[in-house]
Order: sequence, then C-alpha cells, then structure tokens
Amino acid sequence: MSFLDSIAAGLSLVGNFEAFAALFVGVLIGTIAGAIPGMSATMAVALTLPFTFAMEAVPAILLLLGVYKGGIFGGCIPAILIKTPGTPASSATVLDGYPMAEKGQAGKALGMALWASCTADLISNLSLILFAGWLASFALNFGPPEFFTLILFSLTIIAGVSGNSLLKGALSAMLGLLLATVGLDLVYGTNRLTFGDPNLMGGLNFIAVLIGLFAMPEVMSMVWDPKPHEGKARGLGSDSVTFGEYKRCFRTIVRGSFIGVFLGSIPGIGAAPAAFLSYSEARRKSPNKANFGKGEVEGVAASEAGNNGVAGATLIPLLALGVPGDVITAIIIGAFMIHGLQPGPMMFVLNKDLIYGLFIGLIVSSFFLFFIGSLAIRLFKYVADIPRGVLFPGVLVLCIYGVFAVNNNIFDVGVMFVMGWVGYVMLRNDIPAAPFLIAFILGPLLENNFRQAMLMSGNSPEILFRGPITWFFWFLTLLTVAAIIRAGIRATRSMRSKPGAG
Amino acid sequence: MKFAKFGAVGALVFGLATAAAAEYPERPVNMIIPFGAGGATDISARTIAEPLGKVVGKPLIMANVTGAGGATGSVAAMNAKPDGYTMLFTRVGSHSVNPAMKATLPYTLDDFRYVTVYEINPFACAVAADSDINSMDDLVARAREGGVSFSSSGVGSGLHLGGVMVMDAFGVEDPLNQVTHIPMDGGGAAATAVLAGTATFLCTNSSALASFVSNGQLKPLMVTTSEPVVGFDAPTAADLGKPELEQLVGWTGIAGPKDLPDEVAAKWGEWMQAAAGDEEFVSRMEAVGSIIDVMSPEEANDFIRTQYNTFKDLVDRLGMRIEG
Amino acid sequence: MQRIKRQSLIGIASIIVAAVLMFAIIPTWVSSPSNVRNIVLSPLFWPYILSGLTVLIGLGLVVTGFFTTDPVEPEQPAISGGYGRLGILAAIMTLTMFALPRLGMVWTSMLIFAATAFLIRTSHPRAAIICAITVPLVLYGFFAHVASVAIPQGNYVRLP
Repeated sequence: MSFLDSIAAGLSLVGNFEAFAALFVGVLIGTIAGAIPGMSATMAVALTLPFTFAMEAVPAILLLLGVYKGGIFGGCIPAILIKTPGTPASSATVLDGYPMAEKGQAGKALGMALWASCTADLISNLSLILFAGWLASFALNFGPPEFFTLILFSLTIIAGVSGNSLLKGALSAMLGLLLATVGLDLVYGTNRLTFGDPNLMGGLNFIAVLIGLFAMPEVMSMVWDPKPHEGKARGLGSDSVTFGEYKRCFRTIVRGSFIGVFLGSIPGIGAAPAAFLSYSEARRKSPNKANFGKGEVEGVAASEAGNNGVAGATLIPLLALGVPGDVITAIIIGAFMIHGLQPGPMMFVLNKDLIYGLFIGLIVSSFFLFFIGSLAIRLFKYVADIPRGVLFPGVLVLCIYGVFAVNNNIFDVGVMFVMGWVGYVMLRNDIPAAPFLIAFILGPLLENNFRQAMLMSGNSPEILFRGPITWFFWFLTLLTVAAIIRAGIRATRSMRSKPGAG
Repeated sequence: MKFAKFGAVGALVFGLATAAAAEYPERPVNMIIPFGAGGATDISARTIAEPLGKVVGKPLIMANVTGAGGATGSVAAMNAKPDGYTMLFTRVGSHSVNPAMKATLPYTLDDFRYVTVYEINPFACAVAADSDINSMDDLVARAREGGVSFSSSGVGSGLHLGGVMVMDAFGVEDPLNQVTHIPMDGGGAAATAVLAGTATFLCTNSSALASFVSNGQLKPLMVTTSEPVVGFDAPTAADLGKPELEQLVGWTGIAGPKDLPDEVAAKWGEWMQAAAGDEEFVSRMEAVGSIIDVMSPEEANDFIRTQYNTFKDLVDRLGMRIEG
Repeated sequence: MQRIKRQSLIGIASIIVAAVLMFAIIPTWVSSPSNVRNIVLSPLFWPYILSGLTVLIGLGLVVTGFFTTDPVEPEQPAISGGYGRLGILAAIMTLTMFALPRLGMVWTSMLIFAATAFLIRTSHPRAAIICAITVPLVLYGFFAHVASVAIPQGNYVRLP
C-alpha cells in the first residue's frame, strides 16, 4: 500500500462524524478536567475509559487522546490564574504565568500559553508521524545507565530556576531529594522514613506536594498581611497576545517542542521535566534573562511548549513498541487491548489504516485544541476578577477537594497543609520552590536508575559510561556545570568590583 | 453551636439509616482499587464494575488508592467500617505475595474477608525475541553459568516471586544470588526492560505480555496454566514436568474488612455469580488472556490461602523475607 | 559583634537539620537488610549522601552569608497580628484534618471557607458567606456525581 493509499484508508476510518465528535468531546472534557486542580489529565483519561468500551476502536482512542491533550493544556489555566498547577506538567508555567497574572496580564499569559501549546502540539504530532519508527528504536537504547546520565543532566536545570542565589536553589533541591526518599526502598523493599505510618509507605503524593508548595503559601501570605491586597482586583489586562510577541517567542516554542518530543519519546520521563528543561533552556538563551520568574511571557511559552510537545511524542513508544511512556498512555494501551488491538510494530503492518486514521485525528486535534482552548480562556479568565477575600478561601477549599480526589486519601490533604507551611517558610526566606519540585520528581528516578545500573553490572561503575548516549550526556552535564561555575565566578567578581553596591 | 446542630440533625438521619439497614445496599458502594489506573487490576475492576453495578442496583464508586504495592489501598479498606459500603479489589501481589514476603506489611490475610476471586491470569515467562535462549532449558543452563537477570514491577510483586520460583523449580541452586533481580517501576517498565536488554527474562501475567508476543518482540518460554494459552507458542509448566508452578497465577478478587457480616458476604457471592455471566464482560476479559472463574467466598478464601502458603514456604526456604 | 545575617542563619539551620537526619532520624527510620552486598546498593546510601550534601550547602550559605557585601536586608515590617493570624490558620488546618473524616468534606469545607474569609478580613462578607455555602456544594456535586469520586461523607448528614 502506498503512502497515499494509506492516507485514503485512514480517512475512510476517521472521515465520519462520530470520530470527529469523539475527538472534540475528548478535548473539551480534557480541558475542563485539566483546569480543575487535582483532576489531572490522568484521572480524566481513566474516568473516560469505561465509556469507550462500547465505541468503535478509532473514535474510542481518539476520545482518549483528545482528553489527554486537552488535559495537558487545561493545566495551565489555574497555574496562571491561581498559582495552582492543574496538572504536574504545568508547574513550570506557574513561574512566569502567575507573576503575569499578578501584574494584570492574565489574558496575555493565557493567550501565549494557548499559542505555544497548539504550536507544540502540532510539531509533536508531526514528529510522531515522521519519526515514529526511528525515535522508537532509539528510545529502546535507553537502559538504566542512559537514564541515569540523562537525569543527572536534567538536574542541572535547577541552576536555571534558582533565582538570585544558586546556593539557596541547591538547598531547596536537597530538601526535595530528601523528601522523595520517603517510602519503600526500590531494591530491598524496606521502609525508609515512613515513621511506621502505612500512609507514608507509598511515598508522598506528588500532587499534594505540588499544590502545597505553590498554592498554599499564597493563602498564608494573605493571612499574614491581608491589607495590601484587600479589595484590589487584578483585572485582565490586554486580552490577547500580539503576533509580534508570538514571533519573538517562536524560536523558544520550537526549541521547547523538540525538547518535549525528545523526552516524550523516551518512556518514563513525563511532561513535567520536559517543561522545566524547556524553561531553563529558554532562560539561558533569552536576551530577557533577568525578567524570567518575574512575569516574562517567553517563560510561559517555553514551559507550555515543553509539556505539550510531550503529548504527541509519548505515542511514539506506544504505537511503535507497545510500551507505555507514562501512566496516561498505559491507560490508552488498555483501550487498545479492549478493542482487540495490540500496539507494536505489527500494528503498522496489520492495522495500517487505523494508524493513519489516528494520525489524521491527531493533526485535527491540534486545531480543536486551539478552538476549545480560546473558548476556555475566555470563560476562565474571569477568575482573575474575583475579589481576593473570596477567591483565596475558595482556592483553599478547591485544593482540599482536588488533592483528596487524586488518590482518595484524606492523609494527602494533611501532606498538602504541611508542605504549605514548608513552602511558606521558603517563600519568606527567598528560597525558590521550583528546584524543590524538580528534585522531588527527578530524585527517585536518579536513585533508582543508578541502583538498577549497579544491579545490572554487579556493582561495576563502568556501566555508567557504556556507550555513546551516556558519553553524550556526561559531556553535556560537564559543559553545563562548567558554565554555571563560570557564571557564578563572574557574578561574584562583578559584585566585588563595585563594593558597597548590590 | 453549628457543630451541635449538625450533630442533632445527623443523629436523626443516622437513626433512620440504621433502621433501614436491613436492605443492603441502600446507597452507593465504594470500591477501592489499590493499584494505579491502567494496570491489570484497574482494567479488570472497571470491566466487572459495569455488569456488577447493574446487579447490585446501586452505583459502584471506583476509587484508585495507590501506593506501596497495593498496601496503601488495602490498609484503607482494612480500617473502613465493616458495613459492606467499602470493598476492596484484591490481587495476587497485594494479597498473597506481599503478605508472604514482607514482615513489615501493615496488614495480614486475616484482616480481610474474601467474598470472591473472579479472574485468573496465567503467568508466562519470556525473553527478548533476538535472544539466543529458546527454551526453559537454555535459560536454566545460562542461569547456572551466571549473568542472568530478570525484571519485576518491584520488590514483593508477583513478578519478583515468580522469577525466583521458576528458577527454583527448575533446580537452579541459590536462585537469589545466582540470578539477579532488577526491580523496575511498574509492570510496563518491567517488560520494556527485557525488550531493551536491561534484563534477560521476566515472568508475568500473560495479559501483560500478549501484545509483545504477538508482535514478535518477546519470545515466550513457558506458561503456568495446565492448558496452553492462545497466542503463546510455549509449553505449559506441566509439559515441562513442573506442575507445582501451576500455583503461580495472577488473580483478581473482592474482599471486605474482616468483620463483614455474613449476609453481606453472601450477597456479594450471589452478585458475582450473576455479574460474571455477562457475555460482554467475559469476552473482554478473555481478549486480554484471562480466565473467568467465579469462586464462592469459601472457595476464594481457600484458594488465596493455598497460594499464600505455597509462596510462604518458598520465601522461608530461600530466606527472601523482608524484615526491615 | 555584627548581627548575623539571615543567609547565615538559613545555613546554620540546614546544617542542624542535616545533622539530626544523619545522627538520629536515618539510623532509626531507614532500615537496611543485613545481606546488602555492596554499600552503594544499601537503602541508607542515598539518604546519607543527601544529608552530607546538605551540610556542605549549609556551610556554603554560612560562609557566603558572612562575606556577602549585601546590606542586611531590611526586615519585613512587623505586621500587627500577623503571627496570631498564622497561628489561627494552623489551628484551622489541624481541626480540618480532625473534622474531615467525621463531619464529612462538604460541611468541613463550609466552615473552613467562612473561617479563612474572616481571617483575611474579606471586604465582601456577604459574598463570602454565600460562597462558603455554595462552593463546597457545587464542588461536591461535581466531584461526586460527574467525576464519581467517593467524597468523604462523615458520620452525620449524608448528601445524595
């Protein structure tokens, strides 16, 4: 079958009302669910799954993919408006999105998030279609040693989100790494820092930590000093993002998209690290470096491009190898199996029409996302107008519901409260929260892959240098660390050269 | 004041509720799934929920409470009121391997009342398709030489115990040190590890391997049921002269807290008999390689304990118990 | 003697925390099996490394804190009653954890909403009260009936 024949066959599968309707509904559900803190994209996909049992295969899978994509985008809305990332993937969006909302530019931040998301989504889908086979076989070269070096390199992004003081950023990261050790040990299954509480055996719930660290300190600051905020409405600011701004950020968006595609095609990394990596790269390269973290529109673009770039690319290992890259794709694999389809290399031979049908649906989904996203922004941005005296108690209550819903566990609400106080103490002492979060995500991956590599090699560290991929990441890591040290020395010198100032 | 008012109103409603409790169920039932969305337990639970909900007559609210290999959710169910409104999906990992292996587990088998086991999943062992290992004999010979590893979804999972049990049954001496166990993060990652060459083989539910086998990415070496499994071109454990490995199967069941009243348990027995007859349910579960076999509460209890004792003996003999 | 700078204080605090971890918490609460073949694979390895690094970073903060040319940051002007209000918020949170399984999430949330709204001296008391009643109910409706999450109902008043 030629390429055109395949496309024609694919079109005949998706070219009906039902398939597009399913996709549209999916994106809609996903966007709404993503916009509600605690209702992560994962949960929305899991809840939609039973409804797809009775549907045809193509609409069923398109529905789930729509929910997935909508969910990843929807997460940026509360991240920008109330500093509460709707999904973990949008935590990097908080860094610049919320300061923009504070400055009365919520509309602009949301607009840029939408443009960046849709562009990245399109790039990600195209990469899936064009490079699926190649990227998939590449991803299979990633064993524990390669993961270890990749994650070690990713940890250097901490320097990019540390703000003024690298040492404080590092301290924050250490706290994150330490908290991530709570739970069962991977290799021996023994308890670590669980204090005998069964609720701690599974480790601290990631979303509870996330919301506690970002959203709760805002409530506490408000309690500490209610006056300056009283009665001040933030306003929406100029509605839309200009084309000039989009053009200015275009390079960043494309770079972020490819970072997303790369990390998405490797199973087991996920969207949150991609967003942070894209953000820190954008900051490193941007002429507006100093403005990052204070409400820079490019930061929002970078983060959203990074996390949406992952969405299409996670389908690469799924379709080409039958390997789920994250929890969401694991659920989607379930849907394939229920319909008697087995993702993997044979599917490109046996169900070629279906694959092309999905590809066409995915391309269309980027446009649906844009349409539904702009509607959602128009609706949700009025949140910025709610007086704070009512908004903050509402955020508190919403977070309680959301955090509970993630794992149906009241204990997690307690984790959120405690992390809120930790976050507040950090806020008062100018210790940035983002390194904490990155370390909390990457710490367990770093440790586990290190130990798996040691198990593989019988404790010989040589395995950490076993091939070109590991060399490449070691090289990148050394390069980045050198750059960080050089920048540190330069900063100290410039401080010394003008005594009394700074 | 507000508190007292709630209390007064509440007592009234509560009083009414207990008076009417004769007719169980009178409100939605919480069903705890102790594993994450998309896993074998989750898919099985959500598939049975549809016909089961119709039979029960009240909505079943599915709640994933994940963490610690199923322990977090199991503890939540153990501590719930034994009124039949909180039930738990039990699974081989959380309710026979884990109790057999972990001394520190915050629950034991006696903390639950098992109402049914409804689905059985054969285990299969597989290696990468491009591997030069073509049979269990090859694998065992290689294991004796050393340098063989197997992946699992974590310490105390069915995959972990399965790998050791198979090696032990085939006469590999001191399998804990002779064969390296590489724990991964979840079942999907375990299969990927074999695919990518991180580990030599794995033994897991046939449903988790089916797509890899049909795609020619993994090569099955053995299945643990007495009958061959469709799509798996591999001998059964009995063919290879190891019928004792037939104990090594995955299963999904339902349990309540240990003080669950008899009539509630009996009702669940009836409901499950009715629900599991649903044709769509059966065909869906068979499509992923499962065998539907609804056990009564008594049979389920015996089944789980027999499997637990088999595993416990192995764990004690090899010194695999996790004490810390 | 010059007043110790805030950064140095943070450094000292993190050294103390790391020391407590290394000498008290990790030995007691991280258990390691006796048959660990290599120190690198031990469950204790990583926590000790992290605590050690924390000490180093703490030392770095202390040293740079002493030598930094930054003027002592102006302390945030004390806000009257700030600590008192934070204390009340902490109390509200503690009570919440106690009330959630007993009163149920909806009723507890209504109380939290009202309490925090008055704690931050809302300028829209009427709107706050209305929201305190409606927001938890709407959220309950959504989570329980649309997302089918088992929202805790408590021992007293059950919602449909």
